Amino acid sequence: MQKSAQLKIMNRFGVTRMLPLSKAVFTIGRKAENDLQLLSDTVSRQHAEIVYENDTYYLVDVGSKRGTYVNDQRVERCALHHQDRLRIGGDDEQQIIFLDDSVENASAIFSSSPNLTLSSPSKDRTPITSANEELQKLARFVEVNQAFKFSMTPDDVLCLIVDAAIEITRAERGFLMLLNAEGNLEFKVARDRNRNWMLGNEFEMSRSVVEESFKQNRSVIINDSKVTMAGLPRDSVRNLDLRSIACIPLRRFQMTENMDATTILKRDVIGVLYVDSNVSGGMLTQTSLKLLESLAFEATKSLESVRLMHEEAEKKNLELELGMAREVQIALSPSAIKAMEHFEVAASSVPSRYVGGDFYDLIPMKDGRFVFALGDVSGKGVAAALLAAMAQGALQVQFASNHSLTEVITSLNKVLAQRSESNRFITLFCAVLDGEGHLTYINAGHNLPILARTTSETETLTTRSVLLGAFDFVEYKPRQTRLNPGDVVVMYTDGVTEAVNSDNEMFGEDRLEELVKRSVSLSAEQIKQRILDEVISFTRGLPQGDDITLIVLKLKS
Amino acid sequence: MEIHIRTNGSVTIIDLAGNLTIGKSEESLRTIVTQLIAEEKKLLLLNLADVPTIDSSGIGAMIKSFTSVKAVNGKLKVLKPSRMAHQLLTITGLLSVLETFEDEKTAISSF
Repeated sequence: MQKSAQLKIMNRFGVTRMLPLSKAVFTIGRKAENDLQLLSDTVSRQHAEIVYENDTYYLVDVGSKRGTYVNDQRVERCALHHQDRLRIGGDDEQQIIFLDDSVENASAIFSSSPNLTLSSPSKDRTPITSANEELQKLARFVEVNQAFKFSMTPDDVLCLIVDAAIEITRAERGFLMLLNAEGNLEFKVARDRNRNWMLGNEFEMSRSVVEESFKQNRSVIINDSKVTMAGLPRDSVRNLDLRSIACIPLRRFQMTENMDATTILKRDVIGVLYVDSNVSGGMLTQTSLKLLESLAFEATKSLESVRLMHEEAEKKNLELELGMAREVQIALSPSAIKAMEHFEVAASSVPSRYVGGDFYDLIPMKDGRFVFALGDVSGKGVAAALLAAMAQGALQVQFASNHSLTEVITSLNKVLAQRSESNRFITLFCAVLDGEGHLTYINAGHNLPILARTTSETETLTTRSVLLGAFDFVEYKPRQTRLNPGDVVVMYTDGVTEAVNSDNEMFGEDRLEELVKRSVSLSAEQIKQRILDEVISFTRGLPQGDDITLIVLKLKS
Repeated sequence: MEIHIRTNGSVTIIDLAGNLTIGKSEESLRTIVTQLIAEEKKLLLLNLADVPTIDSSGIGAMIKSFTSVKAVNGKLKVLKPSRMAHQLLTITGLLSVLETFEDEKTAISSF
């Protein structure tokens, strides 16, 4: 038989609760699974334990970050004596006193003596005093919660709500149920007054009360079940041997703007808070009912803010990952091209999101020829970026092993047609330039590149084949043109020509062609920059709708 | 998106009305075509006269439909694509594979 002892826990507002040490190992930490949960971020998730060995209680630190203290001395393992003060981490919100009941009872005998003013902790429940005082406590209680919410998960909040409800009503058990995605009420928390979790088969409760409260959106109180409540099936209450029940709907308030700009208040019932007791004598006074309702209201509010915060945190994580994905994508694109003997090249890709479906590559072949590839995967975001990376990798490997342009494109198309989702395609312009200025190219469903001659003629590289990934039977045939010194080829994706301004007008191919024609005497880098600048000034601050990618090739004079 | 099926001789005409874009519309096109193939109807004419917009998913549904009809030795052809749809089919090179007609009679007699 374990020696009877308990922890007296008093928060800084003077609210005291008693926790009997009823187990061989009593756990303390920030996680809700602990027998004593402390919601300070200086408390580790699993912080300390009180273990019972050889008739003695020991406080054991289980590898906490901020330490465990007995009477202000840091301890690893320490035998506990009556009236020892425990401090867990830097948590000074609670004062925790160890009480050895055998000593306590002995001293209680003497406590009648006027000289002895031992504050004997009552084993009764905390008395509820005036409503005002309690409401104030509660208000501060909620304030403290708000301060802690950064280290709390929604489950922690729910747990705290139920514990507080039990405390306020002096109930035996408390439950919190929330509406799940299927529209059913689901148990989230089931706790007894010793702050132990109750497992699935341990609790039966009055479903009829819960349903009444939830459906009618009102508090249902059965105070000492001899009182009859109109319209309630009483059997369940009687069968369960329950005396008192309180069930409060949890409402979410939402201000919604109406069509005519008037605001309406929407109230959704999102769950219920339920406490009950089988002790006769009435669990609920008017005061504690009011308290309970305020608690339910505050609870819903803080639950909502915690939920929002967690969503925010998840969003941040996602952004972080996307940021890394972007770095990978940038690293895949050639950053700088060493000066080439007979041509200049400038290229860039600006995704409209973190990562994009556009890609380009500049690949030197072993025989001195040079490959230019520019593609656009249908769709946007990560899925498109993955396929873009795959295509780019395939191009690099195949060209590096000197496969012909036709072979490379045909085999890439086959793989895509057979492997990728049916609505993912790649439009690709791919060209190979040799030392004499012969440009051999395949255009697989991509925008036609612009060729500007020094003779101020412009033309488009007009051949077209089917985009990649549509049909595995397509044969891709190359076409060839001859570039002269000073000629410029601009390869681009539709993010350039389909950039839209505030009048919903597109940048368009004609404008681009005109711009290239005027810029033919500039360097490749200058032409690229000029096009990007023109697109930006055209859209005048409107958000970029699509990835913008460009390769400018210029034969040296 | 509304889909109506009618026949003209041995040819089944699929009249589409609405945008052929990601979501329900491309799915329903694919479902209808699968169903028609199951009913041994393999000569299909896709009427795009009332389809203002097509996106990459819509193109995907057309390609998928074309491929499944071709796999059973059938044919899928396209009738009256909008200017925008025609441009999209041109740029993507699909016009070289998808036969396109401006006139229903000519389309029917081409099968």
